[in-house]
Amino acid sequence: MAYLLIIREPRGQRAQRSEEEGREAYAAMLRFGEGLAKRGILVAAESLRDDAHGVRVRIRDGNTDLMDGPFTESKEMVGGFFLIDVNSRHEAVEIAAQCPAARFATVEVRELAPCNAP
Amino acid sequence: MQPSTRDCRTTLDALWRLESGRIVATVLRIVRDLSLAEELAQDALVTALEKWSADGIPANPAAWLMTTAKNRAIDALRRQAAFVEIQQQLVHDVVDRTAADVTEAAADDTIDDDVLRLMFTVCHPLLATESRVALVLRLVNGLSVAEIARGYLVAETTIAQRITRAKRTLKAAHVPFELPLAAQRTERMASVLEAVYLIFNEGYAAMEGEQWLRPALCEEALRLARSLASLVSDDVEVFGLAALLELQTSRLAARVDREGQPVLLAQQDRARWDRLLIHRGFAYLEQAFALDLPVGVFCLQAAIAACHARAASWDETDWAEIVALYDALLQAQPTPVVALNRAVAVGMADGPQAGLDIVERLCAEQQLTRYHLLYSVRADLLQRVGRRQEASREFLKAATLTRNASEQTLLQRRATECVAECERTERGLQ
Repeated sequence: MAYLLIIREPRGQRAQRSEEEGREAYAAMLRFGEGLAKRGILVAAESLRDDAHGVRVRIRDGNTDLMDGPFTESKEMVGGFFLIDVNSRHEAVEIAAQCPAARFATVEVRELAPCNAP
Repeated sequence: MQPSTRDCRTTLDALWRLESGRIVATVLRIVRDLSLAEELAQDALVTALEKWSADGIPANPAAWLMTTAKNRAIDALRRQAAFVEIQQQLVHDVVDRTAADVTEAAADDTIDDDVLRLMFTVCHPLLATESRVALVLRLVNGLSVAEIARGYLVAETTIAQRITRAKRTLKAAHVPFELPLAAQRTERMASVLEAVYLIFNEGYAAMEGEQWLRPALCEEALRLARSLASLVSDDVEVFGLAALLELQTSRLAARVDREGQPVLLAQQDRARWDRLLIHRGFAYLEQAFALDLPVGVFCLQAAIAACHARAASWDETDWAEIVALYDALLQAQPTPVVALNRAVAVGMADGPQAGLDIVERLCAEQQLTRYHLLYSVRADLLQRVGRRQEASREFLKAATLTRNASEQTLLQRRATECVAECERTERGLQ
């Protein structure tokens, strides 16, 4: 069963960190990812650039709307993800609890499934 | 708030499936006895259940389990040492070292080596493949005996006996618990890879019963292969096997239709293939070839699977390339099954008659006479050259030989189709 662990970090957290702290947090996440790979459960992992560089695309009534980031209406920003392959939801939750980001951000656990599934 | 015993159980079950391989491996490094290591690891699990139900689940449950298991191992060593004075110093060394890495959280490299050592030990060439498979599922993947028995459709006692016997064999042979030396490494690794491959195959092509797929075993094998690929960076065949299993797994969903009937590669809806797994398979294959070392059977099979993964349809497949890869595979693994698969590819690259010629030779050599795929391949080729009556007979022969119920239905349906085609042609001629 594949699960996506979505890292939702408090907006502005990255800017508040010193360079050193930032490097440490990133290194901890890399180590966590490596650990998952060695256990054979990591499918993919990426971190994302600040959403100030992002853009939202929407087409309504034939008009294309582009909205540049940051998307400040939400307090959190998606900062990265881990795609894992485990045997149960409980295992996915356990992995999420082991993620360093659980301590400084929120780790959202979502199962992969077709979007017409109940 | 105190967690219920059931909550603890659930957390522990999940944790066990994730951590048991590392825990058993670490304990095994300390006590150097497979049965004892398993027992001590289980012991830590029981302690956790009691303790956590009473005091709550600790902040870092995985580390808690590991520490408890290590402490048990050190206690066990001390008990043994009390009787064997001469080992005293040795034990002190181990205890000191182990005590140090109990406090030191970042002992990842040691754990990696431990896990590899465990894999090499339980997949020792001394053991029959069925024992290796049972041991690796039990000790590395943390499956229960009941789960393994369910996967293999045999009685629990059979699996339990297999495991006990295997542990006894290793002990009697004084198999050292070490990473194999460079000279033996390839051979020992081959033995590990073979076990992983067999676990996958058991799940992928379940031979018996109603169920065409037993995906749980595929997932276990994939987890092992991915883990190996991440632990070992200089072995072509490790990447080859990982690539092969990713590519095969990418087709799992497309191998059965909505009614649960098997769908063969030629008819599969390729939109249902998992692109992400295909991508991972390609990446592993690239890593394998980037090593620039002679490739083995897993790389070759993965390269064949990659040809299928790249093709938009069965007809648009690069069959010439596949035949070339089968030529190489047949040299490395000159078995009738490979020869039969090559015949299928030749049947596509050079036409059905060319494929049929190879199959007829295999038949003449009395190879694979009890293998249902021989007859279904022959039947398919006969049908394509227009010898439909013979084709129908061969399909039926294949149907009586397979032990898989859904495959049987498929083969019988194809036999009926051949007869119908025959009748249509005759009517057309009249």
